[in-house]
Amino acid sequence: MSRSGEVRMPSPITRLTRRDILQTVSAGFGYLAFAGLSTAAGSSSSSASPLAPKQPHFPATARRVIFLCMQGGPSHVDTFDHKPQLTADAGKGARYGGSRLMASPWEFRRHGESGLWISELFPEVAKHADDLCLMRSMYCDQPTHPRAMTQMHTGNAQFVRPSLGAWTLYGLGTENDSMPGFIALNPPAAAAQNYGSAFLPAVFQGTRVGRPGRGRPGADRGMAAAGPEVPDIANPRLAASGQRQQLDFIQELNQQMLKREERHHGVEGVIESYELAFRMQDVLPDLMDLSQESPQTLSAYGIGDGAATDAFGRQCLMARRFVESGVRFVELTSGGWDHHNGLRTQLPTRCREVDQPIAALLADLSQRGLLKDTLVIWGGEFGRSPDAPNGDGRDHNHKGYTIWMAGGGVKGGVSYGATDEHGYQAVENRCHVHDWHATILHLLGLDHQKLTYRYAGRDFRLTDVSGNVVHEIIGGHGGKTG
Amino acid sequence: MITVWQFRHAWQVSLACLVAMGWSGLSSGSDDLVADARGSTAEPSAAVASESSAGAAAESDSAAVRAEDALSPDALKFFETRIRPVLVEHCLQCHSADAQGTRGGLSLNRREGARAGGESGPAVVPGRLEESLLWQAINYRDLQMPPTQQLPREIIDDFRVWIEMGAPDPRGSTSAPVRSRISGEDIERGRSFWSFRPPVAPAIPASGEGWAVTEIDRFVQEQMVRHELQPASDTEPHTLLRRLHADLVGLPPQPQQMDRFAEAWAADPAAAIAEEADRLLALPQFGERWARHWLDVARYAESSGREVNVTFPHAWRYRDYVIDAFNMDKPYDEFIREQVAGDLLPAETDAEWAEHLTATGFLALGPKALIERNPRQFQADLIDEQIDTVTRVVLGISVACARCHDHKFDPIPQTDYYALAGIFSSTETYYGGVRSQRNRQPANLIILPADDPGPAEKALSKTELAALRAELDEAEREYLEARRAARQAMTARATNAGDARPVRPLLNPILLDQRVAQLTSRINSVSEDGKPLTFCMGVQASDRPVNARLLVRGEIDQPAQEVSRGFVQVLCREPSAISPDSRISPDARISPDSDGRLELARWLTARENPLTARVMVNRIWLHLLGEAIVREPENFGASGPGPTHPELLDYLSVQFMESGWSVKHVIRMIVNSRVYRLSSQHDEARFQRDPDNLWFSRASSRRLAAETIRDAILSISGQIDLRRPRASMIAESGNTLIGPNGPVPIRIPGTAPGVRPGPADRRKNFAARLRARAGFASPMDAAVYYRSVYLPVARDALPRVLDVFDFAEPSMVIGQRESSNTPAQALYLLNSQFVIDQSDALARRLIREAKTQPDRIELAFRLVLGRSATTAEVRSSSQYLRRAESAATADAKTERAFAALSTFCQALFASAEFRYLN
Repeated sequence: MSRSGEVRMPSPITRLTRRDILQTVSAGFGYLAFAGLSTAAGSSSSSASPLAPKQPHFPATARRVIFLCMQGGPSHVDTFDHKPQLTADAGKGARYGGSRLMASPWEFRRHGESGLWISELFPEVAKHADDLCLMRSMYCDQPTHPRAMTQMHTGNAQFVRPSLGAWTLYGLGTENDSMPGFIALNPPAAAAQNYGSAFLPAVFQGTRVGRPGRGRPGADRGMAAAGPEVPDIANPRLAASGQRQQLDFIQELNQQMLKREERHHGVEGVIESYELAFRMQDVLPDLMDLSQESPQTLSAYGIGDGAATDAFGRQCLMARRFVESGVRFVELTSGGWDHHNGLRTQLPTRCREVDQPIAALLADLSQRGLLKDTLVIWGGEFGRSPDAPNGDGRDHNHKGYTIWMAGGGVKGGVSYGATDEHGYQAVENRCHVHDWHATILHLLGLDHQKLTYRYAGRDFRLTDVSGNVVHEIIGGHGGKTG
Repeated sequence: MITVWQFRHAWQVSLACLVAMGWSGLSSGSDDLVADARGSTAEPSAAVASESSAGAAAESDSAAVRAEDALSPDALKFFETRIRPVLVEHCLQCHSADAQGTRGGLSLNRREGARAGGESGPAVVPGRLEESLLWQAINYRDLQMPPTQQLPREIIDDFRVWIEMGAPDPRGSTSAPVRSRISGEDIERGRSFWSFRPPVAPAIPASGEGWAVTEIDRFVQEQMVRHELQPASDTEPHTLLRRLHADLVGLPPQPQQMDRFAEAWAADPAAAIAEEADRLLALPQFGERWARHWLDVARYAESSGREVNVTFPHAWRYRDYVIDAFNMDKPYDEFIREQVAGDLLPAETDAEWAEHLTATGFLALGPKALIERNPRQFQADLIDEQIDTVTRVVLGISVACARCHDHKFDPIPQTDYYALAGIFSSTETYYGGVRSQRNRQPANLIILPADDPGPAEKALSKTELAALRAELDEAEREYLEARRAARQAMTARATNAGDARPVRPLLNPILLDQRVAQLTSRINSVSEDGKPLTFCMGVQASDRPVNARLLVRGEIDQPAQEVSRGFVQVLCREPSAISPDSRISPDARISPDSDGRLELARWLTARENPLTARVMVNRIWLHLLGEAIVREPENFGASGPGPTHPELLDYLSVQFMESGWSVKHVIRMIVNSRVYRLSSQHDEARFQRDPDNLWFSRASSRRLAAETIRDAILSISGQIDLRRPRASMIAESGNTLIGPNGPVPIRIPGTAPGVRPGPADRRKNFAARLRARAGFASPMDAAVYYRSVYLPVARDALPRVLDVFDFAEPSMVIGQRESSNTPAQALYLLNSQFVIDQSDALARRLIREAKTQPDRIELAFRLVLGRSATTAEVRSSSQYLRRAESAATADAKTERAFAALSTFCQALFASAEFRYLN
């Protein structure tokens, strides 16, 4: 990977409009000629494409993102937010709702040199405590799942707005011209806008890989043996050579048109898109073919027949393969974290499914020297209440919850902010979703106030008119373990 | 006529709200509603009963407002002695905006806070005990408040009395009036901004002699001269014909038409174009092409989108209405009036009336967050969406910015937004849906005063209907039981928390809930005697028009002053002396008895309105020339780019209005101009001088729209079916959810034996039909060959062919589509079953219609690209065919030749030229 250094574009990206992008494309004519036809796969020919790597606003510590999205609202007070007072007050009436406080049924212990408190539900991830930055004072504005999910992804639950991944791609471009720059692995159903580009040009939207799940546990099993679904990724009739022959003919027609028209950015775009598509046909299934990994790696990720960790392990390993190949932003989803009932049985099950794969991902990235500039994010759309309305389950809680980040220049072994004594509400160093977005963009070298796009007469931002970068958590070296 | 109309109108209100789909099954008031919904549709009394339940919320609201204006001493005393002390002692500690916090988002320290409620919904609904969550909570139902101990019986009874008497509450509920930064003077000054002045016919420039064909050309030529540009030459006749066909009907010309046109062109280009344009404008395919432009801005879709994506099975009627409107060249002002206030317009026949009602679907089709618990929040968002759509679509400005604060760029104070909000608050929106645990905000539908000749739902016999009703009774009973059991289990667990084992109720309430909803929906789809009813989406005026209160920062629990219903002041003429708040122009006064929507519709389409005509002619220009005169078609405000050709824009606007708002007239004017004929051929000097083609000295090369790509492929392969299909696939799917693969098939679990085939069985057949068409992952991509405008448009589940080619995002107002070239498109054209099938069909057509290989190559080029093949192309084509044939694996030579020919056809479909208009 990493031809990236060679093809940086010097132009600043501030206030880049769609028209600017198109101009950039047409200004890039000349590189094309028959570059596409040379079939030197991966020949970095797309310097003029809107997806070409771009210089950030300032030096970045993170160059790519893996977003581990836990759909449903994982309980922070049972995982990463240690609340001794909640245990002490268990059984007492809560002031928050109609039911009594419930202590976490799980033990918390200190981990690593930093001594971060993490519960026994994440024994493997806890081994990477010194890489983790726990953001324990998150809050958002939306109490229901889908809207909070949308706010988590786009900053705004009311309108259709570009997603975090789309903004990232718009700001930085991508480093592998044989792959889409933003991949949503196994995305939940009816959530297209969470990886969409809204008014940003469509090239920045996430490419879905994998069957949409329904956010239920086990829905992601579709990823397993049969391989994930990418629409139209293979021709049902032609072998690669036959298709190359056909494609050469198509490109010949296109080149003849280009010659007649002398200059036509649309035709240039078509030519380029065919070459990328053709390469993707080769590269994408290959990248997704986990059989090339060693048995040790597979077992480290917990991949294997019947293993509870199999489905999410595959996703994590695929995510590593994608970012390693230069994909800018990979998002993967684990569903089923909405534990109104059956917390004692269901939450451990969910945690077991993801704990080992995530730990393996962190170790793998670290070992390959990728963790230092890959930002790994873990979190759900909100957390859960300290009380237990149904006896063995917790309610939604968007007023205080925990998200963690690792690598990509965040400080490891750090806990930032705090909720009140029971974990109900963020009270110290409160961090709104906008602040969190601003921080992520900052790590990527992007100023959230300058990363704008003009639409309907206004310059839009991911953070709307809010957002404060949490500078306190920046400055890590990453990769301490593994 | 007026009498007839008034009579009809009165009848229509009751009829319209008669039904049906908006069953509120969860609340305990449901029994009444179900009874109503199932009541006789022929009996006006039943209709009125249902109406009153549907409209009760609005009624009690206005009753409450009146009550608060003057609380009776008794009511005041009751509140002060029995209610306020309890609130202070037991509630405000956690639910007060002034104290510790607003747990659950609820603040009870002010009247509006209690009414607006928190995350779970409104706490106090005056006069409606069972809908007041406060009542539920103090009775320890789903919520249990106060948490420590239940209140004594006497106090609970006091609350019952209080809520039933309308929950009188004197506590200062409104925030201080919000003063706008925008003064009357600012607004007056704003009226001189170019787009806020009515268009006047400009003098026709003298320039352009020798080049100009029409007056349009003189305006364009004038600017070209000013910017030292020479117009490009005219394009080739075949290129122009392809352009004209794609622009007007969205289908490619046939080879015979190309020959005929070339001959006519040689004789007289202007006459050739005029004749061809007239012919195309008269075809039904014209409406199918141009309706789509409108549907893009009208954010047309057949599902709610957002979190709980439910189908809108009746949305397609609006689609067909728009197609018909363009085909009959319905005057644009009428077209707008019908969509904004069709329900209030006079109608001479039932058919006309039905048409008007269908048109109001425009206001009902928007995306909706049906999962929202709080009905007030939902209502505020619904109104916001309507205001945003109407102003951006018709006026090309964004007024919705002013929901939370004064408009940042234009002199539109926040009060202007709430003046419009009053109009839409006085409007009931009907979009259908069945209440379920996720769809918390269903609505009714409007019954059309016309029978549908081929209804989507089948009639039910008396026995079938009776059986379904019995089944519904049973399902409701089971549902209530299951819920009771679930609650008991929950309570049991809560009381001895810690070691409780999960108790599973015997029946799953969620499944039963779905079953009840589906049965209700099916029963409601027919009249009392089992005949299918014809529904549409749309709006009706509410009985008691109200003004809206300005909401501080747009937050529903922070109302400030009341704002009179009215329009956007800066777009009104001189302020009226009658109206002290200078809101209403003499030509657009809203009487207190009127919701103001009809007045709004008339004001939007008044000759004096400075924006309506300009915005539309700008859109027409954009669709024909590829770039607009005002380059951001929804931004005619101060932050917008402004017009490149202000006089031309005004000239077209005046022409448009004087022609009787005829869209076809404006199209005819533009396509007959010289500027429409120009070549897109690149010229470096011209390009350098004007890279964005601001001055239209050349044609902009445009990528075909998604629909045109698909329709052209089908037309060229000979497979296209030009007949209008019945309804839509979404209508066939009925009232259901949109899943990742399109509509979720309706299942009625546990259907009792003996019930005749109902929707469940029909679904099974549908699924079987789909399975039979192997190769299509989603029913949205089923192999249907009718025109693309009729493909299902479910939000977030578009047919792939539309999705990959930059279809307009149906949750947004899209005046100009993106035009990208992505690898997903390449993969679609190279690998999809649809394109492969159509390539086979074209190959068969070539074999049928041409005998030799050179003839086949020539015919293929003429069909796909609308021109003859060049010598070089003939050479590379033959070369490709030879190679592909020898590489093919089939045994028989004819099979190999066919395989090669098919991939050759596919290559032409995949070529850049096919998807571009030059």
